[in-house]
Amino acid sequence: MAELSLQHLEKVYDNNVQAVFDFNLDVKDGELIVLVGPSGCGKSTTLRMVAGLEDITRGKMLLDGKDVTDAPAKDRDIAMVFQNYALYGHMTVYENMAFSLTLRKEDPNVIHQKVLAAAEVLGLMEQLNKKPAQLSGGQRQRVAMGRSIVRNPKLFLFDEPLSNLDAKLRSATRREILLLHKRLNATMLYVTHDQTEALTLADRIVCMSMGHVQQIGTPLELYDEPANLFVASFIGLPPMNFVDVKVEADRVVSEYMTLPLTASEKKALAGYVGKEVVLGIRPENTKVGSEFQMKVINNENLGMNTLVHGHLGADGKGEKVTCKLNGWCTYHNGDVASISVTRKHFFDKETTCAIKMEGKV
Amino acid sequence: MTQDVQTIQKDRMRYTKDSFSSSLVLLAIVLDCLYFVSIYQSDVGTYYYNWVIGVSIVYNLIFLLAAFLASESVKNRRNGYAPVLVVLGLIQIARVFFLPAKAHAATALVGGVDVPVMGSKQYIYVVTCLILSAVCCIIAAVTSARNNKILADYMRSIENPAA
Repeated sequence: MAELSLQHLEKVYDNNVQAVFDFNLDVKDGELIVLVGPSGCGKSTTLRMVAGLEDITRGKMLLDGKDVTDAPAKDRDIAMVFQNYALYGHMTVYENMAFSLTLRKEDPNVIHQKVLAAAEVLGLMEQLNKKPAQLSGGQRQRVAMGRSIVRNPKLFLFDEPLSNLDAKLRSATRREILLLHKRLNATMLYVTHDQTEALTLADRIVCMSMGHVQQIGTPLELYDEPANLFVASFIGLPPMNFVDVKVEADRVVSEYMTLPLTASEKKALAGYVGKEVVLGIRPENTKVGSEFQMKVINNENLGMNTLVHGHLGADGKGEKVTCKLNGWCTYHNGDVASISVTRKHFFDKETTCAIKMEGKV
Repeated sequence: MTQDVQTIQKDRMRYTKDSFSSSLVLLAIVLDCLYFVSIYQSDVGTYYYNWVIGVSIVYNLIFLLAAFLASESVKNRRNGYAPVLVVLGLIQIARVFFLPAKAHAATALVGGVDVPVMGSKQYIYVVTCLILSAVCCIIAAVTSARNNKILADYMRSIENPAA
């Protein structure tokens, strides 16, 4: 496996559209990095630059210390798994998996052993003589992964490999990818727009928007300490609630709520007294209490929790909010729920950056 | 060759196609086509103007179809097509005596002169095409049958390891 270093990577197309801005990332040997973001944020473009399928306009790419910025794709020793599998329909599973090694003119007996080993790992032994059309979506994706594994590359690239699968299969295949990563201890770069995949798979996440890197960190860091409004709104399901509040000496105030500040929050917001900031409250950081009221629109009972959707204020004229309360709640449309907050996030209204609490870097 | 390598080669046969046998049959088809486009070239073309032409054309079509089907079948290691290829090969040899030999021995009067219907050069050419075509069919049959037997024995050994 290998270490990857991407230094000031940029991509500008011929029509002067810039898709990726100053992308910097160092990937350690055996790490699984997930690039996550909405459609059009530049994550797939970045992946394709790493693969060699797109030219790098500016910047450098080092693989195991070797500059491969201008190296053709076939010389980078990188394997890629595509969203649409990209299998050869006229070849059997065995032939698909053996194809790259056959092109390299490896010994057929060695190819056979490598294909069988990969098929064993992926549970494809019974499918080796079948054609892709005879396989399910999950099996086809495993064949695509097997085709990458047999090459024993330095780096694996995954471009939204689960997007074409149904929800149940996605969940199962996600677990398989995780097991595969642990088993091979492979360096992997994984692109997805699904934050659940990012949070469950990644050693570290790169959150992107509009071609820019918003934050790089572990899943916990992005969830617990989002760097800005975008990351805070993108990571977490249901998404974070945002309310504009005015900072006072020991509390934050809006038309529909007044929340006291802890000592560390007071210290962090000292420079914002008298100004407006954005208050972020994760639905799971709420409980039944008395800090603010909301008029309920509807409930979603999930068994152990209830998602309560509504608007701030007893009259329901405030911002839309969602709270995840413990237990089975039975609010009806029009009921007024009293809620308390267990954890608050603050963001600068102009820069959208998170206001760090004391002790956090 | 070590036991391990032999075993791997046999195991490979479970997942790979018998391209060698299949390619030989396709070569046989090409040689037959070369024969067929050459056989009727003659300064005395009228020698061939009888029911023989019709039979020859029909048989050639049958040969092309049968050989192509056999080629695909042996490629996928299906049993039962080796005898078909042997029969096709033997018929190719028999065809030497049906038209080329008779045409080579025959003469016709052209402008008061006895002219051979088929010269020696052309005769050697068409006979070579037929014989090579036959040889390809028979070798393909033999290799296909041999490979299928090896595979069948190997499959039996892994399904019944105690036996």
